[in-house]
Amino acid sequence: MKIKNKIIGKDLIKYFILIYWTLFWLLNIVDKVIGGAHFLFVGKDRFAQIQRFFDSLGLGDPIIANIALIITAGLETFAFVFFCGALYHFTKKNIDATRSWFFTGIVLTLITYTYFTVGDQVFGDHFELLEHGLFWFIALLSWIIFIRVDKIQLFDNFSIGKKQFIASTIFVVAITAVTIFSIFWHNHTSFVERNQAVNAEQITENKYKIRFPFLAGSKAFENSIAKFKTDNPTEKIVYIYTAPTQLRLGESDGLIIYIQTEEK
Amino acid sequence: MKEKILIQYLVLIHWTLFSATTVIDKIVPDVYPLWVGADFYTLFIKLFASLGLTDPLFATTALAGISFLEIVAFVCFAFSLFNLCNSKDKIAEQCFYLGISFSALTFSFFSIGDQVFGDRFTLLEHTIFWIILMVSWVVYKYNTLTDERVIKFSMTKDIKTGLLVGVLLTLITSYSIVDFAKATYTNKTQPLQGKEVVEGVYKFDFPFLGDKITMENTLKAFEENNPDLKVNYIYTGPDELNSKKKTHMLLYVFTEPNK
Repeated sequence: MKIKNKIIGKDLIKYFILIYWTLFWLLNIVDKVIGGAHFLFVGKDRFAQIQRFFDSLGLGDPIIANIALIITAGLETFAFVFFCGALYHFTKKNIDATRSWFFTGIVLTLITYTYFTVGDQVFGDHFELLEHGLFWFIALLSWIIFIRVDKIQLFDNFSIGKKQFIASTIFVVAITAVTIFSIFWHNHTSFVERNQAVNAEQITENKYKIRFPFLAGSKAFENSIAKFKTDNPTEKIVYIYTAPTQLRLGESDGLIIYIQTEEK
Repeated sequence: MKEKILIQYLVLIHWTLFSATTVIDKIVPDVYPLWVGADFYTLFIKLFASLGLTDPLFATTALAGISFLEIVAFVCFAFSLFNLCNSKDKIAEQCFYLGISFSALTFSFFSIGDQVFGDRFTLLEHTIFWIILMVSWVVYKYNTLTDERVIKFSMTKDIKTGLLVGVLLTLITSYSIVDFAKATYTNKTQPLQGKEVVEGVYKFDFPFLGDKITMENTLKAFEENNPDLKVNYIYTGPDELNSKKKTHMLLYVFTEPNK
């Protein structure tokens, strides 16, 4: 029984790793196949991103961006196929085949991120460089954990006492109930802020301030402008100044705009 | 080939290319065709100026010092790779160790600089790279000590199926990429259609490919299509109003009747 639990525990870690990388690459491929924002899938417009990058190098022709994206898609697709195959073999307990397929998936993942890293340096995007460096590192660590997990000492079985189990269950239920109530109550009272017009506060003779709540979207902005125009029919908006982040250091400061007007 | 050797190759290739492109970025300090890179010179000048050291000699000396460390690291990684290719594992390991040491030293200097200049995000970035270097060395070394598994890759039925699925998926994805590019490339210059959201105020949702040319063409088209309106103000919707990220940029055009 103890040995079985041990195996289940270590298998679970391997399942997590395999499922994670399979889904990771699957969704990357879906993102490329769908392209653009749609109902139930926003994703990232990679064509726009890559095209802009190549354009900055002086290679504005979309064929270049397409070729780069197709190479990426090829690497990602094969990484997905090999992780998927590893997962399949793992469910069938073909340990040797699992390792070979997983290894190939990891190799393709490492190649993909090295390829991205070179691109990031050429395009001068150091944020993406950090992101891709981290993914490269995570892929490498995943490999080490996958092949070494069998050597890690794992607890024999779950030995939580009945009292502790009941007490923790009560805590979980109670805290979950409070949290859920709080979330739904906040939704009930605050969702209107998403579109609701916000009142302008007069600062000087011809300058007004509007403080938007965090939830406010473009509709709230448009409704606020419409309300401002209705409330001030004799004035004309001549300028809107968005308070920069440096002027909004308070924890509760969302978007703040200042409106300058003149008499019609 | 053994799995551990391939992993060592991949680790070495990664760091060799990483350091090579870092060095090129210092040799090519500005934007040129086929190379954009990061403008470290401007960054260093601004950082040292914030300390009150406005003489460019400070920034250039610091940049030269850092570049030297990066060049040494690159040479070590390149030699390590060369030796690994020639099956001189011991020399390869020693060169790699030196490369890692010089890179770790570089990132340590960067981290000290980040603290002095008060740049916490870059401090996080450099510390992450520092730990990745350390772990890379452990993986390179630890693998050598423990694993002797040979890569097994024969054309079995499941491998053939996997390759076929991979090729099919790549073809589908490639078709989709080219199709999407064809459908959206015109967004780069095409004028946008505005929507009147408040009386006299028009909203334009810029697509991700939208650029300054798109904006100029949009304004030109708007003025041509609305000769009775005068544009008196343009407002860029800040990110807070565009948190869904479905659109690249929001632009509001405030108008009044032409008298």
